[in-house]
Amino acid sequence: MKRLLFFLSFIVFSFSACDEIEPVVTGATPGASGPTPPAEQKRQVIIEEFTGVGCVQCPSGSAIIKDLVSIHGSQLIAVSIHSSENFSVPTPQNQYDFRTPEGDGLNNYLGGPLGFPSAVVNRRLFDGRPSLQLGKNEWPGYVVEEKAIPPKVKLDIQPVFNPANRNVSIDVTIFVEETVSEPDVNLSVIFTEDGIIDYQLTPEGPNLNYKHEHVFRGMATPFSGQPLAESLTVGAQITKSFNYTIPADWKEEKVNIIAVVSIDGIRKDVLQAHKVHLIE
Amino acid sequence: MKIQNLLDSICISCLLLAICTSGYSQEGARISGNLEFNGNFFVRDSSINAFNTPQYDRQLYGADSWLNLNYSYKGFDVGVRFDMFQNSYLLNPSDSYTAQGIGYWQVKKSINKLGITAGYFYDIIGSGIIFRAYESRPLAIDQALYGIRLTYDFDDNWRLKGFSGRQKQQFDLYESNFRGASIEGFLSLDSSKVTLAPGFGAVSRTLDDNTMNNLVATLNTYRGPTFDPNTGELIDEGDIFTPKYSTYAFSFYNTLTAGPFSWYLEGAYKTKDVLNDPLAPRETISGDTIIGRFIQTDGTVFYTSVSYARNGLGITLEGKRTRNFDFRTRPQAEGIQGLVHFLPPMTRVNTYRMLARYAYNIQFIGETSVQADISYRFNKALTMTLNFSNIDDRNGEELYREGYLELYYKFKRKWTLTAGAQYQEYNQDVLQGKPGVPFVTSFTPYFDFLYKIDKKRAIRFEGQYMTLEEVRGVLGDYGNWAFGLVEYSIAPNWTFTVSDMVNIKPGKLSPPENAPVSTKEKKHYPRFDVYYTHKTNRFSLSYVKQVEGIVCSGGICRLEPAFSGVKVSVNSTF
Repeated sequence: MKRLLFFLSFIVFSFSACDEIEPVVTGATPGASGPTPPAEQKRQVIIEEFTGVGCVQCPSGSAIIKDLVSIHGSQLIAVSIHSSENFSVPTPQNQYDFRTPEGDGLNNYLGGPLGFPSAVVNRRLFDGRPSLQLGKNEWPGYVVEEKAIPPKVKLDIQPVFNPANRNVSIDVTIFVEETVSEPDVNLSVIFTEDGIIDYQLTPEGPNLNYKHEHVFRGMATPFSGQPLAESLTVGAQITKSFNYTIPADWKEEKVNIIAVVSIDGIRKDVLQAHKVHLIE
Repeated sequence: MKIQNLLDSICISCLLLAICTSGYSQEGARISGNLEFNGNFFVRDSSINAFNTPQYDRQLYGADSWLNLNYSYKGFDVGVRFDMFQNSYLLNPSDSYTAQGIGYWQVKKSINKLGITAGYFYDIIGSGIIFRAYESRPLAIDQALYGIRLTYDFDDNWRLKGFSGRQKQQFDLYESNFRGASIEGFLSLDSSKVTLAPGFGAVSRTLDDNTMNNLVATLNTYRGPTFDPNTGELIDEGDIFTPKYSTYAFSFYNTLTAGPFSWYLEGAYKTKDVLNDPLAPRETISGDTIIGRFIQTDGTVFYTSVSYARNGLGITLEGKRTRNFDFRTRPQAEGIQGLVHFLPPMTRVNTYRMLARYAYNIQFIGETSVQADISYRFNKALTMTLNFSNIDDRNGEELYREGYLELYYKFKRKWTLTAGAQYQEYNQDVLQGKPGVPFVTSFTPYFDFLYKIDKKRAIRFEGQYMTLEEVRGVLGDYGNWAFGLVEYSIAPNWTFTVSDMVNIKPGKLSPPENAPVSTKEKKHYPRFDVYYTHKTNRFSLSYVKQVEGIVCSGGICRLEPAFSGVKVSVNSTF
């Protein structure tokens, strides 16, 4: 009996604890937005959301991303990729088919989502996570974590759009702030379009006037990016030029150009992302 | 190399060295083990949605394997397991996972009344409501704890157990820390046939800094409290809260046995914990309303099971009430990831293909469930089984209902017939996360006939037909199914199986999903298997077309995409 009491007291003490010092929860504060020239550029994080017009849960993910963009301002760039064999197939009510070969390629390249909504933050495999794809509860924390890391490279995008033939020539310049040791680094150029009104399934039912933001529309490079042959040593400036014809059904005033510098290989971490409007 | 892997490698080297140097020559030493190997060859078939994953598009092959080795000598028990995942879809059916290494090692030793376990261990407190570390390979669940476990036997009837560690995550560890203890006993009242097996357990989890920082970052996107600008009065508390690092869970349980009666009772309480409430609304700072947010609340589970067995009659009545009892190593983990406990399912474990199609998925956030299972053996030849289960959510809305009848008849030693029917109501909206889809109401009669041709040869036939009730003139989900199977076995080595599952009347979600139902065609999902068994080795080769569906293990379920291809497996024990 004495032994029993001794061990029971041991258990009781094991589970007793002093009061915790609690973490500080401040609530949301909006971040600065607007142009970010290389001289003023901080770490700019890209969140690639996987979504679909037939995915009833996806509007909640898009609403969370809207909040995150409002909180992090220019330091967060959102892309919504419609690539799901179930959810992204257009319905008869849809005017647009948001699926693209490059979007499907990225879905495959980054690993498909386990469920929807799902997103990849800076294409980073975070410690302890089984894949790049993250549920919506994970996004805010990893955006903050990535944002805190100084950028190894900074980016500048100079587009020149010719409305006559809808051709855009794009110069992307990479400013290397810290030598990048990884052997394979790629540059991707992505087009997104904001404010597209089209059908979306929502928890309240079908919505024919849903506003689709930052919809992935295509790329001027292969989906995994164009390999950079140059060495990314500190102080280097590398400029790459691209040409692309903007399809007629894209509203040019709503089109964004996003440049992404990322590692290629088992890890696919994004070093920096940058966004400009096609027409400023 | 990560420190964790380095430590594992050192430990394994020491263990293998100990095994090699002691060897078989040591009297009393014993080595045992088992191997499981599953290989998959993927054959793309877009007509059943078996495509658009790395395996179908470029990898074409994947394999999972586990080799377990146990060594016992002079009171020491050593275990080590090699795990291999190559292009595996077990972890995420939409993705590919490749890793291999030592997935488990353990050293055990008893010193008088003290038992010591170091390394990875599987364990349970009570029925697992506050803690269960277990493994379920089909879903890649491996909740082993990595740390130290001590047991102390006061006498033959009372045992105290304590442990401390971190939960395994593939070849890494979650960062949160766990500690737990339990005391379990056995009391026999001399004057009667009444026995008691009481127990008490406690578990604590402390969140690590990374998890907490991530959680705080999420809460920092929630709407804070709003105050009246004139009076300063609180108008709305908002959704933010200050999360706790430590959560404690306690459980009391007892089994009372009196003759043919047995009564199990368990009550569990969890202190305030952060959990994801998938149905809680939240207004974003942009003004949108979304469903699903973190909440911080305490939780309870009450579970009881009464059974009676005598004279061919067996009755089991069970009930469970769950409120806010999602207990995970990190609150952000979703689906089957990061669970540290197990809630007993209150539904039948159906094994026939169609009967298992709408398996119930346990709702940790809240449910009220009852189940009755009655079996009666009329005579040596005829047995009847009846089962009923009903599960509602925390607001009383129906989630699942099942009625089941089975008759089993055995004619001498020549043939047996199992026949019955299942009725199900299944809330697909909640249980499969498909909001807006109607309730699935199904009725499935079935039979299983086994005929022994002679002492070595037997043939077995299975037939099942599932019909779904139309909702507003529309056949929901995948619609109606027919399933047939023929199995021919030559004891003790060979078994051949041919089966086909036919989507005989496609429903709204049958592929292609957005096509009008009237244009959808019947689809066949055939399967051919050959099994060869030799002593303790078993080999199988299968050609499989498998429809998308729920895969469950003990009430823990996951929606899995379709499969098309060839499977091979090897199982061996030694």
